[in-house]
Amino acid sequence: MATSEVVSQKKLNYAIHRWSSFSANYVPDNILVDKPNDQSSRWSSDSNYPPQFLTLKLERPSIVYSITFGKYEKTHVCNLKKFKVYGGLNDDNMIELLQSGLKNDHNKEAFDLKSKIEGQLFPCRYIKIVPIMSWGPSFNFSVWYVELSGDDAPELVQPCLQWYNSYREQQAIRLCLKHFRQHNYDEAFESLQKKTKVALEHPILTELHNHLVVQGDFDACEALVERAVHDGLFNEYISQQEYRPKWMLIEPVCNGTSEEDRPGMRGGHQMVIDANTETIYLFGGWDGSQDLSNLWEYNVPASRWTCLSKDTEKDDGPSARSCHKMCIDSERRQIYLLGRYLDSSLRTSETLKSDFYVYDIDNNKWTLISQNTAEEGGPKLIFDHQMCMDVEKQTIYVFGGRVLTSGSSGEERSSNEPLFSGLYSYHCPTNTWKLLREDSGNAGPQDIRSRIGHSMLFHTQRRQLYIFAGQRSKEYLNDFFTYNVDTDEVEFISDGTKKEEGQVPAAGFTQRATIDPELDEIHVLSGLSKDKEKREENVRNSFWVYDIKQKKWSCIYKNEHLNKEQWGKSHPAEPCPRFAHQLVYDHIHQVHYLFGGNPGKSNSPKMRLDDFWSLKLCRASKEQLLRRCRYLIRRHKFQEIAAADPLAALQFLQCDLASIVDHEDDEETREFQQLASTLFKSKEEIADGYNMHFLTDVDDHFPGRTQLFDTLVAFFPEHMAQPKGNLVDLITF
Amino acid sequence: MPQKRDLHPTFAKKRVLELECRYCLSFLCGRGMRAILLADTNIELYSTDLPPGDTIELVGSTYTTENCDCKIKDIACITCGNTVGYHVILPCRSCLQSCNNGHFWMFHSSSSAATERVDGTGAQVLTWGDLCDTEDDVGMQFPFEECDR
Repeated sequence: MATSEVVSQKKLNYAIHRWSSFSANYVPDNILVDKPNDQSSRWSSDSNYPPQFLTLKLERPSIVYSITFGKYEKTHVCNLKKFKVYGGLNDDNMIELLQSGLKNDHNKEAFDLKSKIEGQLFPCRYIKIVPIMSWGPSFNFSVWYVELSGDDAPELVQPCLQWYNSYREQQAIRLCLKHFRQHNYDEAFESLQKKTKVALEHPILTELHNHLVVQGDFDACEALVERAVHDGLFNEYISQQEYRPKWMLIEPVCNGTSEEDRPGMRGGHQMVIDANTETIYLFGGWDGSQDLSNLWEYNVPASRWTCLSKDTEKDDGPSARSCHKMCIDSERRQIYLLGRYLDSSLRTSETLKSDFYVYDIDNNKWTLISQNTAEEGGPKLIFDHQMCMDVEKQTIYVFGGRVLTSGSSGEERSSNEPLFSGLYSYHCPTNTWKLLREDSGNAGPQDIRSRIGHSMLFHTQRRQLYIFAGQRSKEYLNDFFTYNVDTDEVEFISDGTKKEEGQVPAAGFTQRATIDPELDEIHVLSGLSKDKEKREENVRNSFWVYDIKQKKWSCIYKNEHLNKEQWGKSHPAEPCPRFAHQLVYDHIHQVHYLFGGNPGKSNSPKMRLDDFWSLKLCRASKEQLLRRCRYLIRRHKFQEIAAADPLAALQFLQCDLASIVDHEDDEETREFQQLASTLFKSKEEIADGYNMHFLTDVDDHFPGRTQLFDTLVAFFPEHMAQPKGNLVDLITF
Repeated sequence: MPQKRDLHPTFAKKRVLELECRYCLSFLCGRGMRAILLADTNIELYSTDLPPGDTIELVGSTYTTENCDCKIKDIACITCGNTVGYHVILPCRSCLQSCNNGHFWMFHSSSSAATERVDGTGAQVLTWGDLCDTEDDVGMQFPFEECDR
């Protein structure tokens, strides 16, 4: 649904209004009828050269909630792999309502259209469909059938029309106000504002304008900006800035022989973090030759590893293992452990038991909860599964993983077809397992396909499991869905059939993921493909952030160069690509930690890593932004003084300005150094520095101050500020 | 005199056909030959040695039929996108050993229509024996590209 409110929807009648082209007898009118068994019942363009389009005219202005595309009964190369939909009240002024793509199959597909501006429903008379790409790259675009649904009841649409018109009028007035003020047409500005009573911006910004542009009171400007930062007005701007990843190699404090001081090389180990105490727990793994059974803790404030157990099996804990999973209950300070991988030679009915342990941190004590969870309604012995904990309800979720079977036992399918484990829950206080979903190879809407090497994260506030990626035999899965632990509902965010290359993390990577419920973000580190054939082309790290609210992936970092030499150095700037590593996230301090893994070197297959890294995702802080604003204001003040009194300017430069420059910022430093030289330039040269020239006879300082005002306004939330656009930009030639 | 390729005498007398798409009537190929499928002689189709590069395109993935072991891929009309035939990407041994016309591009008679092509004088129907090799075939409706994609 386009909106969360209950809306009445019906099929809206339309006629074909305009079109770019058509070929043979594939006329635009064909899209009015749904005949999936007739290949000729479609519109088909006569070229795939843009722009191609179809414009539909609705019977009357309507709120359009969704568009449905019918298709041919078979796949067809002319299906729209990518398209956009626009809408508006007249056909030469439309806004984008949707950008998406159709699957190349026979199923009808429905899409929600944008139906609100500024939280208000807006009416459309015209809907324009613009094909961008067909499934066969050199083929023409075809649309078989289009259905629009929405509401055209006048009692709903009329008020929307009125609102829409008055909204547009208001925006037009605001653009005029901005233009008048920007160009110092005082009287026009005042009289328009008086007559219309439309506010150009939030009063605080008008105040800023007064201080800065009208009065030139720069100290008052700084004070105002400082207050704004303090009141969180810049938070929106900050949240829209891209992250920069900052890797740091952690060199722990050592006090004796190095072997005793830190965990050794391994892959396929497990790590969990207790963010409250900033302690990381690490257990097990494969060192290249054997499974490990040592348990370590790393205390971040002390920068120190401590070995809690050299051999957990001797301490009533789990035997040496790898490819197991752990999760932590940070409230009760307990760690749960399930699963392991076993070499085929070691798989007997005796070893193929899914043992399940809990480790009590405060008492340093292991307890065997179950010798075999399969006998208690839980999973069989699995590896490369995922395990998450809902600490509030004391429930553990286990999903996927491959079931280990002994080749000789006749109980499973005798073929080599791998078995995957479903989705289970385990309620700790009552010690009960529950099977929530069996593995479904052919997923229906509420079914899920089990897998290995996927990611599963629990969102404590939305109370959903986020599941994506992974591998099922030779197939790399690209889907992304949620499982609501309270309602038992599966919802697909993306089924992975649309290949939005470069816009989502590529499948087939041994990704590691973390979640930040406060920020409503999922973080994904992609590394080295396990698939040797893919490895050569994909030796790179990339880091992705998924914004849960906006449903948007963004790649914040990708090392494009195959910089193998860099990773060979003793002090690399970032971890080399790898798989079988571990990544944990401290959501309180917002730091990731990575340990070890397999660098996948074909010439040294037994090599495993023991490097330990922290990763911070950095954005400009409030303080940095405030400093930048101060710098901009003082720089301008300097230029004004310099024009009148070079000596006073020099003094200002040396004291007030110098103290605020970020000397680590090369560009700013260079700019600062150049400022001194402007002292010896003539006035004309300085004036040339401003790129705004005005026809009106105004105060010398006006253009520069206005420019600075526009720069500062950009840090404030959009809804507070003057309109972004400029009236003069509407003039076209 | 242009060099003639090694053409089996059985085919030299065959008439040259122009093929068009039955769905959208677009021109498909100016060097068609009526043919029967080696693996199933009940199936009638048209074949060509070199199709024009801008009228059809390979679509879908490679597959094999029950008839033989040839690896084939469908071809679709560039204008309407409908499947009009297939291309033998890798012929099987049994097909190669049979008497064949050396053509690897096939058009289904259900999706393409054929008309006979006349020679330069306009009076005589062109036969494959009279037909120049591709480079010299000036009678084509569309210029040939060197590559067949």
